[in-house]
Amino acid sequence: MPVQQHIVFRAGVRLVSLIVLGIVFNAVYKNFLWMDDLDKHGPMLYNLKQVQDTSDIIYFGESSNFTTAETDQSTAAISEIVDDAIPERVGTINHGAYHAGMYLPLIKQIDPTSVKKVIVTMNLRTFSQDVIYNPDEASLQQAARFYQPAPPLTNRLFAALKHYDSKDGHERDREKWHAWTYDTLKGNETHKFEPNTIRRWCEVDKFIDSNGTVDMHKRILADQYIKAYGWQLDSSNPMVNSFDDIVEVCNEKKLDLYFLILPENTEDARAYVGDNLVWLINQNVNWLVNRYGNNATLINCIHDLPAEAYIDRDKIPQEHYYDFGRRKIASKIIGELTGN
Amino acid sequence: MQITKFGLLFNSVAFLLFLPAVVILYYLLPHRYRWILLLGASYFFYGSWKVEFLSLILLSTVVDYSIARLLDSWRGQRARRALVGLSLIVNLGVLFVFKYLQLFLPDVDPMIVNIYTVDFPWKGFLKQAIYFSIPVGISFYTFQTLSYTLDVYHRRVQPEKHLGKFALFVSFFPQLVAGPIERFGRLMPQLNTKQLFDYDNFQTAFRLMLYGFFLKMCIADNLAPLVDQVYDHPDWYSSFTVLFGTMGFGFQIYADFAGYSLIAQGAALMLGIKLMDNFKTPYFSTSIGEFWKRWHISLSTWFRDYLYIPLGGSKQAAWRWAIAIMIVFVVSGFWHGANYTFLIWGAIHGGLYLIERMLKPLSVKVPQTARKVLGAILIFILVQLAWVYFRADSVQHAESVLSSLIRSKGTSTLQIPYHVAIVFVVFTLMEIAQYNVRVDAFLGRFKTPIRWILYAAILWCIAVWSGLTNHPFIYFQF
Repeated sequence: MPVQQHIVFRAGVRLVSLIVLGIVFNAVYKNFLWMDDLDKHGPMLYNLKQVQDTSDIIYFGESSNFTTAETDQSTAAISEIVDDAIPERVGTINHGAYHAGMYLPLIKQIDPTSVKKVIVTMNLRTFSQDVIYNPDEASLQQAARFYQPAPPLTNRLFAALKHYDSKDGHERDREKWHAWTYDTLKGNETHKFEPNTIRRWCEVDKFIDSNGTVDMHKRILADQYIKAYGWQLDSSNPMVNSFDDIVEVCNEKKLDLYFLILPENTEDARAYVGDNLVWLINQNVNWLVNRYGNNATLINCIHDLPAEAYIDRDKIPQEHYYDFGRRKIASKIIGELTGN
Repeated sequence: MQITKFGLLFNSVAFLLFLPAVVILYYLLPHRYRWILLLGASYFFYGSWKVEFLSLILLSTVVDYSIARLLDSWRGQRARRALVGLSLIVNLGVLFVFKYLQLFLPDVDPMIVNIYTVDFPWKGFLKQAIYFSIPVGISFYTFQTLSYTLDVYHRRVQPEKHLGKFALFVSFFPQLVAGPIERFGRLMPQLNTKQLFDYDNFQTAFRLMLYGFFLKMCIADNLAPLVDQVYDHPDWYSSFTVLFGTMGFGFQIYADFAGYSLIAQGAALMLGIKLMDNFKTPYFSTSIGEFWKRWHISLSTWFRDYLYIPLGGSKQAAWRWAIAIMIVFVVSGFWHGANYTFLIWGAIHGGLYLIERMLKPLSVKVPQTARKVLGAILIFILVQLAWVYFRADSVQHAESVLSSLIRSKGTSTLQIPYHVAIVFVVFTLMEIAQYNVRVDAFLGRFKTPIRWILYAAILWCIAVWSGLTNHPFIYFQF
C-alpha cells in the first residue's frame, strides 16, 4: 500500500473508532448519568420530562409564581391556583431568575402530542440592562446548554467547553455600566428626559430635606426603580429575540401561546421617581402588545395590583406578590383560558 | 461561536474548529505563503480577545524589529547599548502601564468609579480604563521579544530581515498568550523550514493535547470551585479542609498551566513546530533547585539567561550571588502581577533556595532513596504553602488562610463529588507513570489495544467528568 494511502487508512480507522466511541459513550451516559447531571445542572428539563406527559398546559415562570409571604393564608402558586380552577391539567416549570432565554430551549423540548397550551410569563424587568447583564447570567446560560435539543453527551461536553454565553461577572458588569452610561432615553413633548441616561438619572439628588439630609432608604429605592424600568424597548433587545423565537417554536409545534405580562408596582414607581418612569413602563408594555398581540394571547396584568400587593416593596422592585395578588393574576389567566 | 468577546480559548468549540482549519490550509498552501496564513491566524486568534490588543503587539513587533536591524548595522558600543535601553523602555514601559500602574492608583472599585468616589477622578477613570484593558499574555510576548533583542545585541542570533516573519515569531498563536516563551534561535528556524505532513507528529500532538485537555478540564476545572470555596471563606472551615484547599490550588494551577502548555505544544506540532517542554512532573522534585528546573521551564530559563547570568551568576562572591538569587526570584514573582503577594511568593522561593544551598554541605548521610522520598515530601509541602501567597488576593487574605490552616476556625465541610475523586486518582497514576518521561512517550509504550483503552478512559473523563464552572486559564491574566 502506498504511504499516503496507508496514512489515510489509519486516520480513517481512528476517526471511525472515535465516532463509535462517542456513540457508545453517549448511550452509557444517557442511561446511567444524564439524569443526575440534569438534576444538578439543568433541573427544569428534568422537571419538564416529569410533568409534560400528564399536562395539557405548561406554565413557565420565575419566582413570581412560587414566592409567598409568611402572612399569606394560602401558599398556592399562581399556576396551582389555575390548575385547581380549570379541568385541564397545568404543569409548572418555574425557577428563580429564569427569563425568556431560558424558557426557549425548554419549549423546544415540549412534546406537542400531550401539551396543547403554553403560558409564558413576561416579566418587564427581564428586558432591563440590570437583568440582561446580570453577573450571574453565566450559570443560567450553562443550564440552558443542558436544555438544548442535542444528544445528552454533546450538551455535557459543550457545557464543559463553555459553549454558551459564559462571559464572567466583571465583563457583564462592564457592559451593564456601559449601557447605563450611554443608552439614552427619548421622550416627547410631555415627557422630557434630562438627564437622559440611567447613570445620570441615578446620580441626581433625591429626597433631601431642608437640612440637607438625604433619606437614603427612599433614595436607594428610587434608584432601584430607575434601573429596573428606565429603558425603552426595541427589536434589538435580546429578550425580545427570545420571545420572537418562542412564538416561532410554538407556531411550529402548534401550541396555543399565552404571554402573561406580570404586574409591576407602578404606584411606587410614580411615588419614588415620578410620572416619567410610569410613562416608560406604559410605553414598553404597549410596544410588547403591538409586537405580540397578533401572535399570542396577551394577558396584560401590568397595572392590576396595588402597591400593597408587593411583598418586597420596601426593599426592591420585584414581582413577588401576596396571596391576594397571586389570586388576582390567576383569575385573569383562568378568564383567558376559559373564555369567561 | 463566541469568539469576539472571549477569545479563542483552547478549551472551546471555536478553537477546536479554528485549529483544524488552520492546519488543513497550512499543508495545502505552498511554503512561501504559509507565514501569511500563520500570521493572519495568529492575529485573528489574539484579536478575538479584543481587536485593540493588536496595537500593542504591533508596537512591540515594529520596535524590536527596527532596533534589532539597527543593532546589527551599528558598531558603536554606546549606541548599541542605547538601542537596547530603548527596547527595554518601550517593552517594559508598556508592561508597566498595563500591569503595574494600577498599584499606584487609588484603591477604588473600578466598576463604580465616578467623579464622586475618588479625590482625583482622572486616577479613578485611569484605573477603570486599565482594569478593563489588560491585554492577555502581555508578559509572555514582551519577554519573547525582549529575549530576541538581547540575543541580537549579544550577537547570539542574526536579526530577522523579513518584518512579516518576525511578526509571526512574536505572535505565533499556539504559544502567544501563555507560552512556552520561545527563543528566536529555536522557533524562527522552524517557522522558516518547509514542514512536511508527518503522521507521527500528529499522533504525538494528539496525545499531548488529549492529556492537556484532561489536565485543564478534568483536574483544574473540577478543583477550581472547591479551592474557591475555601479561599473565599477560610475561617468557615477546619484546618484539614483548608489544607485540602491549599493543596487543591497547587494541583489546580499545575493542571491548568501544564495542560495549557501541552495543548500549545500539540497545536504547534500539528504545524510541524516543536515547542519546548514547560513542565516535567514538578511535584516530584527533591529540592527547590530541581523544582525550578521542572516548573515553568521556559520562564525560569529566561530569567537564568537574561537576568541571573548578567547579574553575575554563580561566579561571584557568595553574598553577591545570594543577592542575585533573591533579585531573580522576587522579579520572577512580580512578573506574575501587580500584587505584593507575588513578591512574597517569589521571595519565599528565593529564601528556600538559599537555605537549601547553605545546608547542602551539612547534609547528613541518608540512603539516597530515603533522601529522595523525604526531600520530595518536604519540597511538596513547602511549595504548597508558598502557593497560598500566589492564590490569595492580598497579604491579609494569605495570612487569614495560613492562620486557618494552623488553627481550625470553622466546621463547614466541602462536598467532593465522586467523579472528582476518580479523575484525581487517574491524574495521580498518570503523573507517577510520567516521572521523567513525557506523556506522549509514556502512552507510546503500550500496544495499540491497551493504548486505545487508555485513550478511551481519558476521553470518557473529558466528555463526562469535566468541571463545569467557568474558570479561564490562570496564566492568561499574566
